[in-house]
Amino acid sequence: MNAAHHLPVLAIVLPLVFAYLMPLFDRWRRGWCTPAALGVLAVSFVASLAMAWQVMTGGPYYYQMGNWPPPWGIELNIDYLAVFTAITMTGVSLVVLVYASKDLLHELKPHLLGWYYTLYLLLVASMVGMALTNDIFNLFVFVEICAIAACGIISIKSNKECLEASFKYLILSTLGSGCLLLAIALLYMVTGHLNFTYIAQALPEAMRLYPYNILAALALLLVGMGVKAALFPLHVWLPDAHSSAPSPSSAVLSGLVIKIYAVSLLRVLYQVFPADIFEVTPVLNILLWMSTLAIIAGSMFAIVQEDIKKMLAYSSVAQIGYVFMGFAIVDFFALTGGILHVFNHAMMKAMLFMAAGAFIYSTGVRHLSGLKGIGHTMPVPAVAFAIGALAMVGIPLTNGFISKWYLVLGALHDGQPFFAAVILLSSLLNGIYYLPIIVNAFFSEPQGRVAAPLPLPRQMQVPLIILGLGCLLFGIAPSLILGLIYRASEALLGL
Amino acid sequence: MERLLHNYPYMVAVVLFVLGVYTILSQENLMKKIIGTNIMSSAIFLLFISAGNIAGGSPPIISKGYVPPEGVVLVNPLPAALILTGIVVSFSLTAFALSIVIKLHDYYGTIEADEILKLRSEL
Repeated sequence: MNAAHHLPVLAIVLPLVFAYLMPLFDRWRRGWCTPAALGVLAVSFVASLAMAWQVMTGGPYYYQMGNWPPPWGIELNIDYLAVFTAITMTGVSLVVLVYASKDLLHELKPHLLGWYYTLYLLLVASMVGMALTNDIFNLFVFVEICAIAACGIISIKSNKECLEASFKYLILSTLGSGCLLLAIALLYMVTGHLNFTYIAQALPEAMRLYPYNILAALALLLVGMGVKAALFPLHVWLPDAHSSAPSPSSAVLSGLVIKIYAVSLLRVLYQVFPADIFEVTPVLNILLWMSTLAIIAGSMFAIVQEDIKKMLAYSSVAQIGYVFMGFAIVDFFALTGGILHVFNHAMMKAMLFMAAGAFIYSTGVRHLSGLKGIGHTMPVPAVAFAIGALAMVGIPLTNGFISKWYLVLGALHDGQPFFAAVILLSSLLNGIYYLPIIVNAFFSEPQGRVAAPLPLPRQMQVPLIILGLGCLLFGIAPSLILGLIYRASEALLGL
Repeated sequence: MERLLHNYPYMVAVVLFVLGVYTILSQENLMKKIIGTNIMSSAIFLLFISAGNIAGGSPPIISKGYVPPEGVVLVNPLPAALILTGIVVSFSLTAFALSIVIKLHDYYGTIEADEILKLRSEL
């Protein structure tokens, strides 16, 4: 039993423990809070990378919590998808936290900083937990931690908009977790297990005896996870919540939190339910059409927005549609595109929200028409915003192009050119609302508060530069991450 | 029909669940929305517990070396343990939601969603 064997539990438990130490640090030595939180996330990130190395060289493995063997104990499943998701979650949240350490001083009262880190670390721990767990009830517990922490980092600003948005999110999120718990109850009733592997073994037999229970569980699961992942008709909470929250919160909520529910749903659909259930129910077709609606409607709503953060929030509704579309077209390339988009969109959207936050920090302007000429006075965030916007549209040499390429390839390969056309159309729509901002930023004269912005601290510039270079790097050399994703989709499709 | 009567706890749970969801979606009062979430969670707890229960079974309290006598059936303890977690979760969500409602009341002086909307549009 060496330390390398316990990496999975380290990646989850360390942020959890430090989350509760943060308020103490805040009382004792306020200056230590930020380095401690950054250090913990860095360790978690390195642990995820090390797990990826283990999995790539030695294959997937299971970790038994506290040495209790399944089916009684909780098991962590360290496979390709799990390490990919863990790397995305810890990596992006680490970069956003660097930004948050300065931006929050501006947006929050100083004594709340320690509490913010508590919520933030809880959020990251729960997301890594959801990525790694192989136990459906453990998944539910992490979903709940994530829901409360996510509402917390919205309402911590405690102005009217944040509180209202947070209440709406909390109630709908409770509705979603209710559906999820009911689905778990129905699955447990017919299979007698909570471990994914054991449920998957027992389901074909149970399917014959109690088909209605399983269909009801499937529907509830779809609604529960759909509400939390903001799949189109269930997205009503997202725009307010993501636009009113402090900017670093918006970056993690839009970039990471809605994705982790999508990935969990993917795992349950593909690894727990038997493949023949999708022949008797049109679940994947429903998902496909919902994601199509999300892509089109999300972009349409984004076009009419005047507020920069609200526009980015509606753009997230559209982008989560791409992820679900990749999952719902049962095809190797589409699945690869969907999983890749989880990673790419996490980087792009976190960067866009941080750039928007930088504009608001320095000039106080949230209105899109007020940002004319910002490229002259604030070059770093404006260039980062431009890279992110181009990646959203899917211009070649940016990472957004690669994931759209795989999605289109998958749709064509599966013989559904209509959905390829949807992706192309939505790229046009993305262009309609992103490109004018870039043009205005660089080709107009700065006026008013934009002409004399406050200087941006270095801690807020460096994350933008890192993510901007990341977007270009993974657009030019996608093979850095594709090897892992290929294996993840092969494992999910059972190839 | 006989099956329905035999499974009556499930029927009650389903009715309660739908009632809870309806309350959340239809009521304007924020407190009533919170009560709706609680009705909904209670329905799930009822369903989960009744799934683990065996009529006439004895409680699963055993010590080392204990062999249940002939004809005694022990109730499945796992659903109870899971629901204990579920209750804690539901409790903390309720507490958080209530604290937000208090703050909203401080700002607006009302906890009716439609009145808050009206106050906001007047600003």
